[in-house]
Order: sequence, then C-alpha cells, then structure tokens
Amino acid sequence: METTVNIPPVVPGIFTLPPYDQIQPKLLGGFCPTCHRYYFPRPKYCRGCLGQTEEISLGSKGVIYSFTVIRRKPPLGLPEPYSVGYVDLEESGLRVFSLLDPAAIAQLRIGLKVRLVVEPLGHDGHGEPRLRPYFTPIMGD
Amino acid sequence: MSSAAVIGIGMIPFGKHPDRSIVDMGAEAAFLALKDAGIKPAQVDACFFASGFAARLFGDMTVGQHVFWELGINRVPMVNVENACTSGSTAFYLACNMVNAGQADIVLVAGAEKLYVPELGLINSGETELETQLGLVASAGFALRAIRHMNEFGTTPQQLAQVAVKNRRHGNLNPFAQFREPITVEEVLNSPIIVEPFTRLQCCPNADGAAAAVVCSTSMAKKLSRAVNVEAAILCTGSYENPQDLTHWETDYRACRLAYEKAGIGPKDLDVVECHDAFTISEILHYEALGLCRKGEGGKLVEKGETALGGRIPVNVSGGLLSRGHPVGATGVAQIIEIVTQLRNEAGARQVEGAKVGLAHCMGGDKAADTKSCTIVVLSV
Repeated sequence: METTVNIPPVVPGIFTLPPYDQIQPKLLGGFCPTCHRYYFPRPKYCRGCLGQTEEISLGSKGVIYSFTVIRRKPPLGLPEPYSVGYVDLEESGLRVFSLLDPAAIAQLRIGLKVRLVVEPLGHDGHGEPRLRPYFTPIMGD
Repeated sequence: MSSAAVIGIGMIPFGKHPDRSIVDMGAEAAFLALKDAGIKPAQVDACFFASGFAARLFGDMTVGQHVFWELGINRVPMVNVENACTSGSTAFYLACNMVNAGQADIVLVAGAEKLYVPELGLINSGETELETQLGLVASAGFALRAIRHMNEFGTTPQQLAQVAVKNRRHGNLNPFAQFREPITVEEVLNSPIIVEPFTRLQCCPNADGAAAAVVCSTSMAKKLSRAVNVEAAILCTGSYENPQDLTHWETDYRACRLAYEKAGIGPKDLDVVECHDAFTISEILHYEALGLCRKGEGGKLVEKGETALGGRIPVNVSGGLLSRGHPVGATGVAQIIEIVTQLRNEAGARQVEGAKVGLAHCMGGDKAADTKSCTIVVLSV
C-alpha cells in the first residue's frame, strides 16, 4: 500500500484517494443541484444550466452493460490483454466507460455485478506509473 | 434541397505510398478532380482541405495551402478541416454550404492522409482524454457495440464476418481499393483477434491516399452532362446523453432522419449506399439507423445478401473502408466519389444498374459512448 500511496492518479479527481486497506475506493463525479443531473467525470459547468457542479461520490458498485478484450498493442503500459467496458453505476444510473479487471477476463459477461478497485496499472504518456480505477467481479455473483 | 452539384472527382489508389507525401498525394487527387471537371485553377473560388492526422503524425499545419499551391490556386479562401473520420466529408459539407449560401460558385475539396508510419498503434481520441487514459481505442468502442448487439439480437460472428467478405468481394472490382483478394467467412474468423469479437479482417486497414471533388452551383452544373446533384449534405454531433444505448445509436438515427428530411426522400428511394464500415459491426448498425432494415436485423440483412452488389440495396460497392482502406482525411471524399461514379454510370464491373439516388454516410470520433461527428450526403441524377 505504501507504493500505491506514492503513485499519482491517472487523472485527478475521478476517485477517492488511498489508503484503501480500510476504506473501499469510490468513483467521484459531479452533481448539479439545480438540474439533478449526475456526471462522470465532474465537469466544471452543468451542461444543462451552466451552473457550478458539486463533487459527489458515485459509489463503488455497478453492473456490466458491455465489455471487450483488447488483445494487441496495449496503449499506456496497460497489460496484454486488457479489458474495458461500460458499467451501469448502482447509485447514479450513469453508464461509465471503465477498465475491467485484467485478471478476471475469463469471468466477464453482460449483467455481472462489479465493484471498484484502484491500483497501479499502466503508466502515463511519459512512462511514469499511474493509479487507475477498474471494476472487478463481486465474489459470489 | 441543396443548390450544389459535384462536377469533378479525382482520387489516387489507396494503399502503401511510402515515397509520397500528403501534399503530393493531395495535389494529384485535386489535379484529377479539376481535370475531370474541366475547371482551371483561376476559376476556383474557395478550397477546403481535410486531414485527420497530418498535424499529429508529421507536425504539418495548414497543409491545404501547400496542396492547392501546387496547382496554382492562390488568393482565395482556404480552410483546413480536422473532424476525425469525417474530416473529408465535413470539408465537402462546408463546400456545399458555401455554394448554397451564394458565397462561391466553384469550391475545391481535397482530403489526404498518410497512415503507414511506424508505431502508429491503435487509434484513439487523443491522450488528454480521460477515456483514452482508461484504455479506450477506436476498435474497442465498436467492439463494445458488437458484443451488446450480439447479446440483444443474437447477431452472430458469421454475420459480422459476412460484412467483411461482401466488401472484399466488392473491393475486388475496384482498382482504387487497397485489398482486393477475395476472402471467406472462415478466413475472416480465423484471422488474429485484435479486440473481441473483431479479428484482423473485421477492422478497416490503415492506408495512404487522397481524394478530391469539385463542388459548384447547380446553375453552373446545368451545362454539364456528368454533373451530380447534392440533395442534402448534413453534419450532426453527438448528444452525449448518459446513458447511451449502444445498439440504438441515437446520433446515427438522428443524422439519417435529418438527411432524409432535407433530401425529401426515404430509405426506399436509395439505389446505392456507402457507409462508414470501420469495423464489421459499424455497417450493421448503420443499416439499422438508415432504415434499410429494422432495429436488430442488420446481421440478417447482410446474411441474406440484400446489401451485396445485385441485392436489394447494395452497400459499400467500392469495397468500403474494410477493403479500400481508411486514409482518414481522404475517406469521406472517397465515399462521395464512389456515389458520384455510380450515379454517372461509370463504375464498370461494380456498377449498380440504373442507380439514380445514392447516399454517403460517414462517422468519426468517440466521446462519452457517442460519436463526435456524423455526416450524410445524398446525391442524385
């Protein structure tokens, strides 16, 4: 966990920061109190009313809407193969694009319940390691 | 209805052109289009040049001025266009708008791209985008639609492969296509997996190439026997609403509806279609958005051969992106060139008999599970 603490997030402000040994990481998004619209990531302005959005937790659970496995030429130091998908978030109903657990590729299917993990995964455009969020199957689903 | 017409087209064969620059290729295509139109450089009132990657790959800026300089075109307005895969068709859209607005009588459009460069990798939307940082590549965006379409409608890997087989069969008849050897469903499915469920032969190949067209006012075009009318040229951007339905692409449906409205036609009036078959599923989704079949039945449409040359509504008789190759900035213009060639009854072995109305559909860029740009051009004679 010490290494994780020292590695910066791939993009600031999209998930809660470590340490994660006691607290489940959560995705962070935006909410417009006027339009009651949720966003991921949090935009500066609400696209409905151009008002200020508030930072809000989007929770850590969702369901896979679709997924795929990229088998060649992984960008940004991501593993080969790696998986991405759209996850329908339980709390906000947002459908977000996300990495999926590269160690759980064989289990992936539409409708699978997943939870958020944040770990060092791949690097940035300059080869520096980065924390990335990904969803992993919930045990027993 | 638009008051623009296409009076000249020109392109170079798509493929590997290691010894040619973007400027060299673009200038040749533009030269051929001017010759085809019988227009002199001094008659051109404005120019648009399209490239998706020149700035990123070569650091080249305002390439259009170099291209048109080669042909002795100067002084008139020139604009460089980048709009992802729709860069070329966006340039054409802008040219039509300029003619429709009465700001120009003759506008030259050219698109060129050079994508056979080392270490290109899988194309993405730019490294500053969050989605790119989370591993989104263009092929994955469509693979996610394919998996969902297969899940909801029972679309099969064989049906996906049939898109590639059909377009290669068409490409075999097109001397400008990059890959012309016929392929079988088995060969498509047995080629290496790139992004599930796409094998290599289900992803459009990169290419070098260039394509150009001369747009003019219909009043000028009346004197020319080979002119083709532009019934509509539209451009839509994504709604980016969340959640997006990955199998009912709202932006695609919206663009098709707008194009039909503007042209005053419906899907049954079409004789020939070029659409953006970047991946096999793309063509199936576009069948549905264009109303060539009902939602969910795109796989069956290709399976029944209805979109093959000789079928009810031939799609991508040029070979499409899958066979012709995808030099991004040139593609949108090349699609329009194919429809113009068909409507002029000059397509040779791949001619759709009696084609009078055709449509060129293009789409580009990923953002928030939507497309950044969708263009449609309806042409008629």
